[in-house]
Order: sequence, then structure tokens, then C-alpha cells
Amino acid sequence: MTKNTTAGAANRRRAASGDPLGPNSEIGRKLKQYYDELVSDNVPDRFAQLLSQLERAQPAQKKD
Amino acid sequence: MAAVSQSFKTDLLGSIPSLRAFAVSLTQNADKADDLVQETLVKAWDKHESFEPGTNLKAWLFTILRNEFYSQMRKRGREVQDSDGIMTARLAVHPAQHGQLDLKDFRSALEQLPEDQREAIILIGASGFSYEEAAEICGCAVGTIKSRVSRARTRLQEILKISGDDEFGPDAISAQVTGSNAA
Repeated sequence: MTKNTTAGAANRRRAASGDPLGPNSEIGRKLKQYYDELVSDNVPDRFAQLLSQLERAQPAQKKD
Repeated sequence: MAAVSQSFKTDLLGSIPSLRAFAVSLTQNADKADDLVQETLVKAWDKHESFEPGTNLKAWLFTILRNEFYSQMRKRGREVQDSDGIMTARLAVHPAQHGQLDLKDFRSALEQLPEDQREAIILIGASGFSYEEAAEICGCAVGTIKSRVSRARTRLQEILKISGDDEFGPDAISAQVTGSNAA
């Protein structure tokens, strides 16, 4: 317990100081709920297709 | 230009859900958001050499997406937000019962924030970035992010409290929203 990752320590600090957007805050909880719902939305195929297109469009090239 | 590595491509693919979430948060529109993500992926692909492996790819991509968003907004002359008509329509939505805050109410409250405040509170409160990272993404000082987050939070609290409380009439609501403080 003497060592923390920076992020872990930051989170703990934020939690300890009553982080205004932490789990105890209604706004903080809603914000995460709102965002998590967006993140878990199914990704349309067009993006994978786009990356494949970009890949195909690359000039055939030797490694440098 | 060196070929894009497989791992870069895989990482790009893996970032798409976060990019879409951030894009929707900025644009408040699913179609515009996906166009924005598409632009971001093309840009990221083109300038993949400027990404330093080992640094935060998500932050790098968010920066590209955000720059693209603002440059599109400038081109379109800021059609995106704050039309009076839209504001009125949103305010006309009847408040939910007090107690549990409805996600729909939250979403419409979020829409009412100015973009700079909305992106700040999303980056810090939802995307999991530190204040330092958010400042870098937005190209501003850490203190600026802190104050935007704090103003966003206050504003959301105001809007949501009001929308959950029938005692406030429409006058009180519009006064809050326009920020008018007639003394």
C-alpha cells in the first residue's frame, strides 16, 4: 500500500476529496451512464471497411 | 510514407467505440458523429507517423477528432448550437418526477451546455482522462479545464434541479438558462 500508480493515486485523491464527479455525485454517475451507453453502441461495419480500404490504398512499399 | 502497421490498425479499430462516444458528446447527433469519426480515422491514418508509439493513442485520436469538429464548425458558421428555437423546444419538455434522475433529462441538460464545457466534463468525468491529458487534448491550460468542468457541473445541477422541480415557473427557467440576472 505504499506504492500507487499515478492514476490510482489520483483517483484516490479525487475520491477522498469528495470528487465532484465521483461515484457519490449524481452528475458523475449520470455522466458515466450516458457515456457508457454510447461506448457500448454497436460499431457499424463502415469503419472496419474504411480501414481496409485505407490499407489497400497504401502504396506497396518496402519496410524502411 | 511508411506503411501503417497491423498493430496501429488494430488499435485504431479498438478506439472506435470511444471515438464515437466522444463524437456524439460533441455533436449531439449520431450521423454527424459518425462522419466525424470517419474523418478522424482517415486523418489518423494519413499522419500515423506523427504518433509516438508508447504514448496515449486515445488522447492523440481525441485531439484529432476535436480539431476536426471545431474546424468543421467554423466552416459551417457554428450552426450547431444555441438556436433559440431549439432551446425553447428543449425547455418545453416536461420534467421527470423528482428523485431518480432520468437519463433522457440528463442528455438534454448536457446538450444545453456550451461545447467547451461539455467536452471538458465528458473528458474528465466520463472518458477517464486526467486534467493534464484533457488540457492537452483541448490545447488549453489545466486551470482552464478545471474551471470549465466546474462551471459545467454547476450548470448541470442548476438545469437538472430546475427540471425536477415544479415550483419553478418558465420565467425562472429562462432566467437561469440565459444567465440573465436582472438586478
